[in-house]
Amino acid sequence: MSTPPRPARARFSTAVGAVSVAALLLTGCSTAEPESNQTSQTPVSGGNLVYATGDAEPTCLDPHVGGNYPQALVSTQYLEPLVSLNDDGKIIPWLATDWEEADDGLSWTITVHDDVQFTDGTPLNAEAVRANIEHLKDPETASSTGFLALEKVTGTEIVDEYTIRLNLREPDSALMESLSQPWLAIQSPTALERSKAENCESPVGTGPFIVDEWVKQNSITLVRNEDYNSPPADAGHKGPAYLESITWRFIPESASRYAALQAGEVDVIDNAQPDTIAAAGKNDSIEHLNAPRPGASNRIELNSSKPPFNDPLVREAFAHSANVDAGISSLFFDTAERSYSPLSSVEELGYEDPKLFTYDPEEANRLLDKAGWDQRDAQGYRVKDGKRLSLEFPVSTNQSIPAEVSLFEQIQATAKEVGIEINLNLLDLSSWYGALAQNNYDLVSAPYTKVGPDVLRILYHSDGIVPAPSGYFANLAQVDNPELDKLLTQASRETDPERRAALYEEAQKLILEGYYILPLYDQQNHFLYRSSVEGLRALPTVSTPTFYDVWLNR
Amino acid sequence: MTRPAGIGGRLAAAARWLLAKALGAAFVLWAVTTLIFFGIRMIPGDPAEAILGGPGSQASAEALAQVRAEYGLDQPLVVQYFAQLGRLVQGDLGNSYSLRMPVSSLLGEQLPATLTLALLSLVLAWVVALGLATWSTLSGRSASLVSSGLEIVGAAVPHFWLASVLILLFSINLGWLPPVNTGSAEGLILPVVTLALPLAGFLGQVMRESMLTATTSPFALSARARSETEGGVLFRHSLRHAAIPGIALSGWAFGSLISGAVVVETIFARPGLGRTLLNAVTLRDIPLVTGVALVSALAYVLVMALSDLAERIADPRVRGS
Repeated sequence: MSTPPRPARARFSTAVGAVSVAALLLTGCSTAEPESNQTSQTPVSGGNLVYATGDAEPTCLDPHVGGNYPQALVSTQYLEPLVSLNDDGKIIPWLATDWEEADDGLSWTITVHDDVQFTDGTPLNAEAVRANIEHLKDPETASSTGFLALEKVTGTEIVDEYTIRLNLREPDSALMESLSQPWLAIQSPTALERSKAENCESPVGTGPFIVDEWVKQNSITLVRNEDYNSPPADAGHKGPAYLESITWRFIPESASRYAALQAGEVDVIDNAQPDTIAAAGKNDSIEHLNAPRPGASNRIELNSSKPPFNDPLVREAFAHSANVDAGISSLFFDTAERSYSPLSSVEELGYEDPKLFTYDPEEANRLLDKAGWDQRDAQGYRVKDGKRLSLEFPVSTNQSIPAEVSLFEQIQATAKEVGIEINLNLLDLSSWYGALAQNNYDLVSAPYTKVGPDVLRILYHSDGIVPAPSGYFANLAQVDNPELDKLLTQASRETDPERRAALYEEAQKLILEGYYILPLYDQQNHFLYRSSVEGLRALPTVSTPTFYDVWLNR
Repeated sequence: MTRPAGIGGRLAAAARWLLAKALGAAFVLWAVTTLIFFGIRMIPGDPAEAILGGPGSQASAEALAQVRAEYGLDQPLVVQYFAQLGRLVQGDLGNSYSLRMPVSSLLGEQLPATLTLALLSLVLAWVVALGLATWSTLSGRSASLVSSGLEIVGAAVPHFWLASVLILLFSINLGWLPPVNTGSAEGLILPVVTLALPLAGFLGQVMRESMLTATTSPFALSARARSETEGGVLFRHSLRHAAIPGIALSGWAFGSLISGAVVVETIFARPGLGRTLLNAVTLRDIPLVTGVALVSALAYVLVMALSDLAERIADPRVRGS
């Protein structure tokens, strides 16, 4: 029954199509062994790189405020967190040099570099870290991601000039993973004292680039930090970045973004769609970086709080009725790999079980008959006690790309063959959250990005059914299983790596075997770039690209 | 038909006309504000969440309460409505929820880009429409068939499709023009053409019709009897005739250009009101949505008044009524 956690192989970037041997070497090695990130060519300093993002334009460039992926993408270039991850998922130094958990697990002592300055000249020290923790926990900051990540932190103590102690309410095995995320990056305490509006416009960090100008709805200009000396432990070089500047453009329409890349107006694009990636494979001057996001896999959640999915047999039947593999290969042009795990393939502790999710209409029919849905109505849908087996599936068009919406339509079609009706409703983000808040759904797909397996506690602990003040709740499958709750709570306190891994494996087994979810694929995160861009890699934390090692081979 | 006597009479008529227009404009602006204020609250989504990083934010209770108090969202709806009307009367459009900047300065930044786009498109649409109408009138039946075919296709083509085809042809295949906004004049060509062609289709249909009517009318006949050439008839008499319905339609056309700008600005990644509106609606940014709608309504009212005025100048029949 047990499948070992998958190796880190999945993190390799993929160069699609015909690319030169040198480029293949570069992209192949860049994320696996950054130390060997050298070709026969010497990096050239200088030049401006144009990056075009399809993500929404951030409303605030300080990722402490709110805390979403568009902010993470751009702030990775100018702000740095205390630690990072290497490709094996181990915590490695960044702004912090050392960290240690107390024996009782109720505090962590963290030491930072003694020779790093923010770009406004303020020195990095323990006081600066304290100011950031306080900023994240201050309701006025309105931090959401960072605030949640520091939930167990009760306060700080300054040990010496460069050492700080974080005190915890209870042991937190996910604390260092949380601190590696860009939403908890460290900013200049001097800059944080400015007004919120000012800090949103031009946050100040220690990163390789500096926010120079933000022209709303057009672009952000980032310029090189000439005094940069704080790369993460796995970076390809030391000292300032090679690029002189970056123009960060907002091009929401995916076809325009790719057209701009083809025309050479831009050098790198994100949110590349499956058809575009397939087309780019035939283009010699364009390369592909596949960097799945960490945290949860993309999966369909089955709302177990009400009929018909309060019956495990019906959930299992639905899982066998869905022909996911055929849909993925035809709609995603083989750019996405099927997942059988609640966790992303980049998560070291991910556990998968493909046997549970076979496409088997006969088995689905048998299970539905057994569950008492053995009558059919005029349209061929199954009926029980005069009620049709009908499922509501609200889909957010902001979160599901067109290929994913088409995949849901195929799942709708194969489910119909066993007599299950699925009503797909395409909604904008606010209406979609509205449908969830009213419990007006049976199926739903929602991405969740977080570093580490603790995401399972957020998504599947019964605490996650209680809505936040905004009506938001994370446990959309509405799993309410005391045994699972216990495993997830224990795992979040367990700091022994082996015991922690075993607990998370047990928890994932319960989630998969209970058929609370139908895993689809990793959270897709594809970049296309011109082959003149050398040394591009995604950080192993939340898979945001870093331009520190990038140079232009023009 | 009696002409108003003397300059005083004419001034009084002009003043009455101006007053009617101003009252009409005030009503439209009030109606737009009211519709948006209540309409945007009928769709799901909490403005406090919009302020805290968008729908589905995991904002804490403290953060939400803080924001509600700061923006007056904890007040009853009616109080919020009158407070907003009161601010608008004083010319205060408030602060954008999502961008945390005064709406008026955001609009000031975005308006010129959209106005440039819309006006250039209007001019190009006029040139194309008049060109087609003239050509089909001068060159007989086959030209008339070709241009009416072009007009129908032009009028039916959605902006989205046209933009994609133009990008594919002129940026990817030929490499002549940039596919997205570059800040240069070159970057304006494709968006302007995308907006202008469908409009030219509409205008062309109407203009060709009235130009044909004009060339067969008694005054054209008498001009020919004075041995004017066909070209002379066209340029001295029919053109003016054809322009009148075009002028009347231009007010409406400008409105359609503003709504077309939503699509075109997004595809070509141009800054402007259209893209601002799209983002603002997605983020439930009520002050910004209201601001964009008010500015568009105001522009629409102004252009309508201008085209009304132009019609009065071009067509003596309207002046008396």
